[in-house]
Amino acid sequence: MSQAKIKVENLSLWYGAAQGLKDVSVEIGEHAVTAIIGPSGCGKSSFLRTLNRMNDHVPGTRLTGRVLLDGEDIYARGQDPARLRKRVGMVFQRPNPFPMTIYQNIAYGPRVHGQRGEARLREIVEQSLRRAALWDEVRDKLQKSAFELSGGQQQRLCIARALAVEPEVLLMDEPASALDPVATSKIEELIVNLKESYTLIVVTHNMQQAGRISDRTAFFLSGELIEFGPTRDIFTRPRDRRTEDYVTGRFG
Amino acid sequence: MATPGKVPILDRAMRVATGIVAGGALVAMLAIFVFLLRDSWPSIQYNGGHFLTGITWNIGNLYGNSMSSHNGVQAPAGATYGILPFILGTLLSSLIAVVLAVPLAVGIGLLLVEYLPRRLGDSLSFIVEMLAGIPSVVIGLWGLAVLIPWIGRDFGPWLQAVLGFIPIFRGPVGSGQGLLASGLVLAVMITPIIAATTRDVLRQTPRETKEGALGLGLTRWEMIRAVSLPWSASGIFGAVILGLGRALGETMAVLMVSGSAVNYLPQNIFSPIGTMAATIVSQLDSAMTDPTGMAVHALAEIALVLFVMSVVVNVPARILLSSAVRRGGDAQ
Ligand SMILES: Nc1ncnc2c1ncn2[C@@H]1O[C@H](COP(=O)(O)OP(=O)(O)OP(=O)(O)O)[C@@H](O)[C@H]1O
Ligand SMILES: [Mg+2]
Repeated sequence: MSQAKIKVENLSLWYGAAQGLKDVSVEIGEHAVTAIIGPSGCGKSSFLRTLNRMNDHVPGTRLTGRVLLDGEDIYARGQDPARLRKRVGMVFQRPNPFPMTIYQNIAYGPRVHGQRGEARLREIVEQSLRRAALWDEVRDKLQKSAFELSGGQQQRLCIARALAVEPEVLLMDEPASALDPVATSKIEELIVNLKESYTLIVVTHNMQQAGRISDRTAFFLSGELIEFGPTRDIFTRPRDRRTEDYVTGRFG
Repeated sequence: MATPGKVPILDRAMRVATGIVAGGALVAMLAIFVFLLRDSWPSIQYNGGHFLTGITWNIGNLYGNSMSSHNGVQAPAGATYGILPFILGTLLSSLIAVVLAVPLAVGIGLLLVEYLPRRLGDSLSFIVEMLAGIPSVVIGLWGLAVLIPWIGRDFGPWLQAVLGFIPIFRGPVGSGQGLLASGLVLAVMITPIIAATTRDVLRQTPRETKEGALGLGLTRWEMIRAVSLPWSASGIFGAVILGLGRALGETMAVLMVSGSAVNYLPQNIFSPIGTMAATIVSQLDSAMTDPTGMAVHALAEIALVLFVMSVVVNVPARILLSSAVRRGGDAQ
């Protein structure tokens, strides 16, 4: 495994009085796919959202510990969350396109970040859509509303939208949970292809999926990181009893 | 739990009830229209189109015996009923109110939903709703006691000095009563209404979509421009039109600060004006003394014109708003 892109040190997170994450420490490798698994409510989304400071917008959250991106603490004073999120993109569980055309959905981010010139933007739109394996399906209707796409297409549009601002890290929160098997396999294939250029962290409920796409896997339980290691080890010879119970389907 | 057979019956009953209420509202509107039309019919016959284009309002010589007669209806000698100044007064004061209120109200709505911490936003929300409920006569009194002296002494001369190169800001400020005062009073009245509705519509913007924007590295303001405003645009537009409807029909507050002009077309922002609604009230007393009844018919025709105007403004606004709210978190 290559060097660490993200280093999380003793991270704890509270929602008001309730603790969502408990003293989590982990190193996430560059150009790799890291899967996050665990039962519902164990803190997978919470963890993911600390990596791009999305929890800043949830009232009542409090956080201790450090998150280092390329060695720099993203929670240090003077760090700009918007700049951080341009580097650490996010794809959500439910497709959430903007109320605009397909084209605008993708061009919006680059344009806000200073990319002018319609020709260059068109290039970015096409390239992003191609990477998200959506281009062939939408090339003739770029000026249609994004809401006219199917759920799976919308999700790939959201992936393309995230890619268009050229992040370094891509966080994906159950990106395929609302999709049928065909769309799911498209997105899985996409994730594997993307790791050449990006560092990916993918939350999933689906063990087989974690096995297919990820290099390393982190298992969470009640806000704690129980085990973290190469995906094959987690599934074939877990060190912790609770991990074993979970991956063999004995609970969760 | 209802038995399976019961649900459709309840469902149907509900639908029938909704139908009756909706139909009742429509019938009531129609009844008002018919009533106004009948009451103003003699005036419509007497004045024809001149009613809308004439600038002189004169209920004639009520004490002589001479009559003038048109199309078979009679009015006191010398009577003319032209309401163009009132139409203009209404439209211009409402326009000023909307131009001032919209940015302010949308700003307040955004502040409440996007910028203030939850608790502060909620208490401010409450204040906005209180403001929306202040009786208009109270605001009129405030206009009379505070706003008008301020315009007459400070704001008016200042406006003249700064913007005097634009013709509409030239002209005598006078006491402070007039178009500007009316517009400001109306703006004060409709800002909370538009702000409260804007807040409700903005709250409907799905959190996921807003997070999607933040997730791309957009700042909060960029997120608002990318997601919240487009998502809420039709609803905010509906709120604005609703506010406009309110301004067009406002009576008491405007009556108190407008200067109650008749026979006078507004020349600039300081001109005294009369609005349609305010004129009906201010002219009613003298109109009642007209033995032919024509003056009252003419006032009824003003009401008819105002009614039609309000319907034209309100119906599309309601439709926009209800579809914006129904759409809720879903796709547009
Ligand atoms: N905004 C919030 N306010 C309060 N508590 C929250 C909030 N978000 C999450 N939690 C709590 O934090 C814990 C972890 O939630 P989280 O959403 O991270 O779980 P998850 O592992 O992503 O679950 P799922 O698989 O169902 O998505 C849960 O107990 C949840 O109730
Ligand atoms: Mg989750």
